[in-house]
Amino acid sequence: MTLPIWDNVLYMPGDVIAAWIMMLLVGPILLLWLSKTKKWPLVWEYMRTTNHRKIGSMYVLFGFLFFLRGGIDALLMRTQLAVPENNFWVFQGDKYNEVFSTHGTMMIFFAAMPLLIGLMNIAVPLQIGARDMAFPFLNAVSFWMFLAGGMLFNMAFFLDSSPNAGWTAYTPLSTDTYTQTEGNDYYLFALQVSGLGTTLTAVNMIVTILRHRAPGMKWNRMPLFPWATLVTSLLILVAFPVLTIALFLLMFERLFDTSFFSGEAGNPVYWQHLFWIFGHPEVYILALPAFGIFSDVISTFSRKKVFGYTAMVLSLCLIGFLGFMVWAHHMFTVGLGPMANTFFAITTMLIAIPTGIKVFNWLFTMRNGVVRFTVPMLFALAFIPTFVMGGVTGVMLSVAAADMQFHDTHFVVAHFHYTIIGSTILGVFAGIYYWYPKITGKLLDRRLGIWHLGLFITGFHLTFFLMHITGLNGMPRRTYTYQWGENLFAFNFISTIGAFLMGAGMAVFIWNIIRTRQSGDHAGADPWQGRTLEWLVSSPAPEHPFTKQPVVDQRDAFWYAKQAGRRMAAGTDSRPAPIAGKTIQPLCIGAILWLLSLSMIYQWWILAVLSGVLVLVMFLLRTWRDERINTIGKEGTADE
Amino acid sequence: MKKAWIVLLLLLNGCQIRTLNPHSQVAGDQAMLIYLSFAIMIVVMAVVFVLLIRFAWKYKQTAKNKDDVPEEINSNKRLEIMWTLFPVLLLAILAVPTVVVTYHVSPESRNGTDNAAANEAAIHIQVTAERYDWTFTYENGKQSNRLVLPVGEQAILHLQSEDVIHSFWVPELGGKQDVIPGKEILFEVTPDKTGTFLGKCAEFCGVNHALMRFDTDVLQEKAYRNWLQEE
Ligand code: HEM
Ligand SMILES: [Cu+2]
Ligand SMILES: [Cu+2]
Repeated sequence: MTLPIWDNVLYMPGDVIAAWIMMLLVGPILLLWLSKTKKWPLVWEYMRTTNHRKIGSMYVLFGFLFFLRGGIDALLMRTQLAVPENNFWVFQGDKYNEVFSTHGTMMIFFAAMPLLIGLMNIAVPLQIGARDMAFPFLNAVSFWMFLAGGMLFNMAFFLDSSPNAGWTAYTPLSTDTYTQTEGNDYYLFALQVSGLGTTLTAVNMIVTILRHRAPGMKWNRMPLFPWATLVTSLLILVAFPVLTIALFLLMFERLFDTSFFSGEAGNPVYWQHLFWIFGHPEVYILALPAFGIFSDVISTFSRKKVFGYTAMVLSLCLIGFLGFMVWAHHMFTVGLGPMANTFFAITTMLIAIPTGIKVFNWLFTMRNGVVRFTVPMLFALAFIPTFVMGGVTGVMLSVAAADMQFHDTHFVVAHFHYTIIGSTILGVFAGIYYWYPKITGKLLDRRLGIWHLGLFITGFHLTFFLMHITGLNGMPRRTYTYQWGENLFAFNFISTIGAFLMGAGMAVFIWNIIRTRQSGDHAGADPWQGRTLEWLVSSPAPEHPFTKQPVVDQRDAFWYAKQAGRRMAAGTDSRPAPIAGKTIQPLCIGAILWLLSLSMIYQWWILAVLSGVLVLVMFLLRTWRDERINTIGKEGTADE
Repeated sequence: MKKAWIVLLLLLNGCQIRTLNPHSQVAGDQAMLIYLSFAIMIVVMAVVFVLLIRFAWKYKQTAKNKDDVPEEINSNKRLEIMWTLFPVLLLAILAVPTVVVTYHVSPESRNGTDNAAANEAAIHIQVTAERYDWTFTYENGKQSNRLVLPVGEQAILHLQSEDVIHSFWVPELGGKQDVIPGKEILFEVTPDKTGTFLGKCAEFCGVNHALMRFDTDVLQEKAYRNWLQEE
């Protein structure tokens, strides 16, 4: 659609206009609702909070909104692919490319990651008996950096400059020689800002777990979700800086005409190495926390300790370690030579072993137990077969010579959705149902939960199972159309129906949230017969849980204390708790970084320098402030 | 499980599926690997599915056991060793042919050994990828947007890109090979059956990536000679 504005003619595609109209309708309604229900003090409270549960809830909320956004993109793609030679709305050519690039980036960085980090924020401190994250201020900074990146990334669409080089942004396509619009600059800066936030979160998680465990919680008494969080954080700490560097190089390439990835000295394949050295660990960053959630869920609802605890922890570590040695399995068709191809094929196969150990341990946790079919447990039961199917196609892909057929087809699309949705997304939903009482004080409705799972998982298998076949039958990924007579129609059509079933499942989930808000059951502190420390504190988790940290004398100590009919002893020697505060600075840092990115994208150098200096000054000032000096005495005595 | 049957049926009916309908030695080896890995993986899946259904069913909470606290059995050396070694065994079975075939099919770039490039007996074709077209230049100078090959003769394709990364893919003739700017990569193929296939670009390269297709004909020797001489 073209709009004449003064003398210029502005071209705007129909979907962007539709989105603007939606925004202009929904925005005011939202603001009005906030005023009507007197929610502004609450919003102001959350804008300044440093509390782990509140920050975690905001991560989950925005992660979920971005998940919906990415989901709408998915439905648009599936509609365009429903029939051969389709011309649905505007989604052909570059428009389709923008949609899948946005979908992939959005889902990985702005939906899956924050949803997991949100659950970690909510549950991990409680599970280890800590009173908050080690660095509450830093935690808020991380969150606002993530949101600044997410907002930047979403803005690109409204200005009709979405990135269009895929979530992998392969050079030379992603350099300014071949994609001139600002789209990929938005990609660069959005990932850069939110990626820094993620790295800081990893530091925070590691320190929290190292330093703030309850007395007596030795390494071999820690629940598996904190363990998974620890290993994941270490992976983030190694992998994300590689992404940061890669993004910086590409930024120089796009904005300042360097030639790292082109010309005589450069090489486009360097980008692929950098990206996948980050990218493969990233998929384990997404999977391991979900493994942790399921380990806790399966153990709780089988009323047993997790089977093979030591093997579980070791295989987490082993998966994390091997995850750094397999990146070139994404590059079997680049022509790295027979030596590299076989090496990376074998290392990739090796990962299947610790993963298999975990699967069998989950299964044997259920054996001889009392298995309760609660909603989180049903998600776990759906997770095991789904994830195993993704795992076995992973082994098939690791067969380097065969991967030359699979690579870059819908077979791969099927594989990674089986693993990511199978583990991360099902894990996140299991976690939300499981910890909802700790977040809001209420239990989500069981019947609606079952509908949610049923629709989602049926739709999921319909959508993605058939993609294995279309892929084998020659359908490359990232293509917006295919021809009649290619034998692809029926599969794609069913696949599209499946996608809409998944959408229906999500609608049920949203309905469940609304219903529960209005009339849900209030949950006590321990609605699930829990085993770990988060069920010791009231629901929702109070701002200052554990005024005295409990003493942990064995794994699942809370459960055995309940069995013996005693209360957990309170510890005496406790470290000073991290100090909560109310401060607007983290939000300001996020906002300035957002401005900085925007001025870099549009090359407003003066504004860029100003905001750069400002954000640096804010960090430096913060470095000199230490509220512990003033407060420790006071809080310290209050704690004893 | 029902779904697994559907696939199995489709696979038995494999000639429908392009990657499983090989027309060259390499594609044949790759199809063999696909079948082999699929078969091994079916075993793994069957074990997991059976255990899952059995345990979930047998140990589900009932009115009778709902207050029981089960006995803790938290490790079992024999079982744990078994489910570590069993996958090792399956993977070893898979790894051997993987290594053999991968060594055989991984192409070398021009700056490596020049054996293939200097191979006089083979047919050499220059393949140029430029957004969003393929151009094939034959030894007698003929240029075409069709890839035409004689059956039973070794052909060496010299892959080059004028702009971004593309990927050359004709599923019936074998796996894909990326085409990378600034570099010539050799792709060897010996078709062993005649036929007409759709080739595609398999690496995302921009606006019309989806339309970057080409037709491939594998002809009898004589038909091939005639085609080469045609204007
Ligand atoms: C909710 C239902 C979903 C549907 C129906 C869906 C559908 C699709 C489709 C059809 C593609 C392929 C586009 C193409 O190659 O032409 C795709 C790509 C992708 N999806 Fe999803 N998806 C869903 C959820 C997710 C989730 C939850 C994640 C990750 C957390 C995810 C991550 C990706 C990624 C990384 C790509 C690759 C994008 C690229 O090629 O650059 N998707 N999705
Ligand atoms: Cu990988
Ligand atoms: Cu292409």
